[in-house]
Amino acid sequence: MNEHNEQLSALIDNELDNTQIMDALVQSVEQQDTFSRYHLIGDIMREEAPNILLDIDFSAFVLAQIEKDNQTLEVPVDFIKMKKNNILSFTKRFGQYAIAASVAGVVVLTSVMMSQPNGSNTHDGLEVLSTIPLGGAASPVSLRTDTQESPVLTKEQKKRTEALLKDHQLQIQIQP
Amino acid sequence: MSERDLDLQLIHRIQRGEQIAFTLLVRKYQNRIANILTRYIRNSGDIPDVAQEVFIKVYKALPGFRGESAFYTWLYRITVNTAKNYLSSQSRRPPTSDIDALDADHYDGSDALRDIGSPEALLRSEEIKNVALNAIAQLPAELKAAITLRELEGMSYDTIAKIENCPIGTVRSRIFRAREAIDKQLKPLLEA
Repeated sequence: MNEHNEQLSALIDNELDNTQIMDALVQSVEQQDTFSRYHLIGDIMREEAPNILLDIDFSAFVLAQIEKDNQTLEVPVDFIKMKKNNILSFTKRFGQYAIAASVAGVVVLTSVMMSQPNGSNTHDGLEVLSTIPLGGAASPVSLRTDTQESPVLTKEQKKRTEALLKDHQLQIQIQP
Repeated sequence: MSERDLDLQLIHRIQRGEQIAFTLLVRKYQNRIANILTRYIRNSGDIPDVAQEVFIKVYKALPGFRGESAFYTWLYRITVNTAKNYLSSQSRRPPTSDIDALDADHYDGSDALRDIGSPEALLRSEEIKNVALNAIAQLPAELKAAITLRELEGMSYDTIAKIENCPIGTVRSRIFRAREAIDKQLKPLLEA
């Protein structure tokens, strides 16, 4: 045993490259305890041993925590997967709604713009973007708009818009 | 770094999946890590938790360790970064860490680790140190010189042999005998 410990002492000091001694160290609990105590002696001599962890095999705590982490990591894998799928389906659905809303918006804006008589969006040779707000009929001071509209045309436009919207909503409901 | 480097030998074994080699690495460095942490963390009761975090980080990062720098340099960097992260997380946290009375029965967070910093544990540590230092003081001069040059000055056996004017084998034997003499006093105390 003394011979083994002498070799262990040299191994600790990086003065020995001996696989057999390393193997013995890895396999023998007694050698491992000696290894710890030899290191502790050095730590105490160098004043690198605060009054914490001094007589503790701290590796047991570390390995227990690693084990615990591995277990807690294993459990939520499916949970994370499930959550991820939910997020994906949510983004997919959200995307669909966004597209539907954009299409509806474009249709409404186009129908509103189309319903205005030709030439009303130019004034004194200057091209001005002329739209009537969705909420009502605002009349900016600098812009003159004719509010004369054909009631039949407006009704038809509305019908078309509603049909488009209904069709889109139906498509969304049908999709999984 | 030579092939004799114990850290490298242990790391190679860890990378091959020998977990016991990791426990040896922890045992080797646990006091030094705790010592570094005391420079950053005032509350000694928190040191075991942070030290544990350091070693867990090391364990996770070891597969990628290529030995381009010395292991201790790498470990030191991880320790300091973990201590700094801990300090910044503490400054973000509310000052109280009380546990709700209803939760207290189910609270198992690092209980054993907190015992490490208890007054009894501190007293025991003090006793261990005193026994070791007394044992060193009682060593014959040549053994004391050999182990001091090795542990305090970090000298190689070859250099010590030149200083002490003796063969390397004698240095090796003296250092071992010094360790054995100190260990003879320490072992019963640590196993109690």
